[in-house]
Amino acid sequence: MIPRRQVLVAPACAILFEAGDGLRPAAADAADDAQLIEAAKREGEVTWYTGLIVTQVVLPLQSGFQKKYGIKVNFVSAGSQETATRLLTEGRVGTVKADVFDGSAPFEPVNAAGLIQPYKPQEAAGYPNDFKEPSGLWTAQMVQITGPAINTTMVSPADAPKKFADLLNPKWKGVMAWSNFEEIAGPPGFIGNVLMTMGQDKGMDFLKNLAGQTIANVPSNFRVVLDQCIAGQYPMVLSVFNYHVAISQAKGAPVAWLPLERSTLTVGTIALLKNSPHPNAGKLFLEYCLSEEGQQVTRDAGYIPADPRVPAKTATLKPDAGHFAVSVISPDLFREHSKEWIGIYRTLFQ
Amino acid sequence: MVGTAEPRAAIEPVGMPRVVMPGAEPPQPGTPAPRIAASRYWRRSGTATLGIVVTVIVAALVLPPVWTLLHTSFAPEETGSSAGGVTLGNYVLLLRSRDPMGLLLNSLVFSFVAMAVSLAVGGVLAWLVERTDAPFRSLAYVTAIISLATPFILYVTAWIFLLGRAGPLNDIYRQFTGTMGSPFNINSLPGMILVEAFLWSPLVFLLMSATFRTANAEMEEAARISGATVFESIRFVSLKLARPAILALAMFVFILNLEAFEVPALIGIPGRVDVLTTEIFRSVKEFPPRIGYASAFSVVMLLVISVLLYFYGRISRQAERYASITGKGYRPRPLRLGRGRWLAGAIIVVNFVIVLLAPLLAVVWIAIMPFIRPMRWDALHTATFKHFLDVTSSAYYLSLVGNTLIVAAGVATAAMMLTLVAGWLAARRRSCGRIIDQLIVVPLIFPGIVLGVALLELALRSPIPVYGTLWLIGLAFLIHYMPFGMRYTYAGVLQIHPELEQAAHVAGASIRQNIIRIVLPLLMPALSSAWLFIFLLASKEMSLPLLLAGASSQTIAVAMFNLWANGQGSDVAVLGLLWTALMTGFATIFYILSRRHSSAAFGN
Repeated sequence: MIPRRQVLVAPACAILFEAGDGLRPAAADAADDAQLIEAAKREGEVTWYTGLIVTQVVLPLQSGFQKKYGIKVNFVSAGSQETATRLLTEGRVGTVKADVFDGSAPFEPVNAAGLIQPYKPQEAAGYPNDFKEPSGLWTAQMVQITGPAINTTMVSPADAPKKFADLLNPKWKGVMAWSNFEEIAGPPGFIGNVLMTMGQDKGMDFLKNLAGQTIANVPSNFRVVLDQCIAGQYPMVLSVFNYHVAISQAKGAPVAWLPLERSTLTVGTIALLKNSPHPNAGKLFLEYCLSEEGQQVTRDAGYIPADPRVPAKTATLKPDAGHFAVSVISPDLFREHSKEWIGIYRTLFQ
Repeated sequence: MVGTAEPRAAIEPVGMPRVVMPGAEPPQPGTPAPRIAASRYWRRSGTATLGIVVTVIVAALVLPPVWTLLHTSFAPEETGSSAGGVTLGNYVLLLRSRDPMGLLLNSLVFSFVAMAVSLAVGGVLAWLVERTDAPFRSLAYVTAIISLATPFILYVTAWIFLLGRAGPLNDIYRQFTGTMGSPFNINSLPGMILVEAFLWSPLVFLLMSATFRTANAEMEEAARISGATVFESIRFVSLKLARPAILALAMFVFILNLEAFEVPALIGIPGRVDVLTTEIFRSVKEFPPRIGYASAFSVVMLLVISVLLYFYGRISRQAERYASITGKGYRPRPLRLGRGRWLAGAIIVVNFVIVLLAPLLAVVWIAIMPFIRPMRWDALHTATFKHFLDVTSSAYYLSLVGNTLIVAAGVATAAMMLTLVAGWLAARRRSCGRIIDQLIVVPLIFPGIVLGVALLELALRSPIPVYGTLWLIGLAFLIHYMPFGMRYTYAGVLQIHPELEQAAHVAGASIRQNIIRIVLPLLMPALSSAWLFIFLLASKEMSLPLLLAGASSQTIAVAMFNLWANGQGSDVAVLGLLWTALMTGFATIFYILSRRHSSAAFGN
């Protein structure tokens, strides 16, 4: 059964998001910090496997860290698929080359192979509990909220769905799409959100009816799916990031994001690798990415920062400021249910 | 590359042996070569050693990934950890796929029709360009080269955009008919066939044009003098002469289509048109990728292809009959089409518009719009150069250009050196030729991820530190593109009558001199087409560098993927356009130089 705690409505969410403020242990850790910095400097470099956007996030974080500590950042940019394959192969052969990697999709298989080094970053002490794994396996770098979006030149605001049930209107048959990526932000997360919102029986009935609407499975990432909506290929798409919609809106694109009864909230994680070549530089780099300074960089690129101290570029993208309800699907909750949700996706929608 | 004195330092990697070819004039007619028994000639010539050396090199490149392929295909499902044990589970899963007969039928239709279309389009163009006096001939080259230089994701995105529901074609239809329908649907079997066929028609064009350029025109002329019409001379002479080359090419393109993942997935999956590879595509996109399942499929494909190759080998056994470059001097002369000239010109222009101009315009549109929007006049005023400024102002991309050029040019050169000898041995059916021919085609059926993982493992275990370096990417590319190089050299050698080499041998030439002075110059058109092809494909190839590149060996394709995956569609379009422009510049210089060289060798 899904724990009720995971289902948040706006007011509770607001409390949770602010709960972290002021909790960061202060001067006591200064000695630890100095020791870590010293050890990291001795290692001299850090290797980071990343799927984040190079020009807007990776390069600024790289130069910021290098300037602050004089430690070189080597980054390898790849898709989450390739990052997972690389890390698994390095782990299998026993020659780990990376210190840090980001992305919640590669986290699961890498963790299952026992390759993660737990670490609780001090900078994340004030983060909400849902944004970090209790034993330090992962910490959230950014918040990702998904839901449907419409092309506003093709769908008037009056016609836009307000509730899940509205998606069953016959006029949407054959014109909706979603990514076929079997991730939290894709169909499995959407299915999980429906089941968490409506309960198992009602949820399954709804999903069976939704399958009758013949949703196109687009074998590309969420952003490409949204672009196909903006380009007019699909008037409505079902599971895209709200910050992507905001970025496009700012450029004048005719698109709107729809928070139905509940949207899906998940996190983009960052984690350390076991037996990595530069363990201390890795820790220090993790601290930097999760610090206010690092989170500002994340925010400036348009992502929603995980740090409650740093507001989103468009404040209303966060549930508390935007007054919408979310189902929090953490990586751990997803691991528990992924088999079931992916199974439903494959049986009903492929 | 080899065998020319032309200055071309810009695209020639350091360390290339530079051989100056003396006497590029064509062999003189009227000096009959003494006929000797072929077997005696070859026994004495020491090809055996050469054959063994090439076989060992090719085997060393191909067999380790094959071993990994077999190994993973029998490994239990929970890969990712080095779980031991042997299972047939992956093969059983293949049989259990939904509606296997329907998938097979879709795959066969898709592969065969797309092959036929590429062959028809590329073949007709190549014949018009090389054998006739049709106007706009260089436009056909421009079309082939620019479309080969265009990154794959841009090309597919452009077609989805053009033929999509809100695309210009459906728009025009709606405006003319006043209805709301969308008759053009890219997400269908015809849509997949169209894009796949356009994708490979430049390959066919480049290969066939090399074949037609060197084919002896005397026979066509003889047919014309004997009263044959243009079509009869094409049907009974040109096509007959090119038959082994065309058959080899047809089979090659058919295999490429059969094992294609990307087009069937990107275009077929949203329209629920599945082929055999669709399920494989899905399985390698899972977390962690189900490499065992993909490997099992590849093993089955390997067996199917071996059977095809066996039958092909029987057909091409009498290939010598088709050789048209003989000891007699010849000068290919273009066929005069008369009034048909303008029809021929129209075909070249239409091909240019459909295969290149339309998708390129779509990419330009995406690049200058603030966001991806339908092509409408009233949107034109929002055009912006912001994306161009974003891309050109970042030093990051510039740093990747060097890596990309080094690895692509290096691989193209290495592949040509290897496949020159391999293609010659195979086409002459000399020592180990058969084995080399079979081995070299094997990498064609490796899904990128299988080859990538095999190389990751090998590099991590290797005592030589190649992990994360350009060398590793180069090695992967060499294995991946060897089969392509082989198709060019094999078809090229088939055309050269062995009597030339026999004559050289009698005159005291060694094997080395024979290859460098006889085969190489006559093969130059095929070699330069192949070099260009591999260079252009390797420089935009995405899946292998994404898996293999280290911090200091990233290529431009990795940057393109990063932008694409992170929603910078317009920046991808800009980067892709700039890249295409750069590659077109390189290719043009290369083409002019190689054309000048081939004029020297063939006298036209």
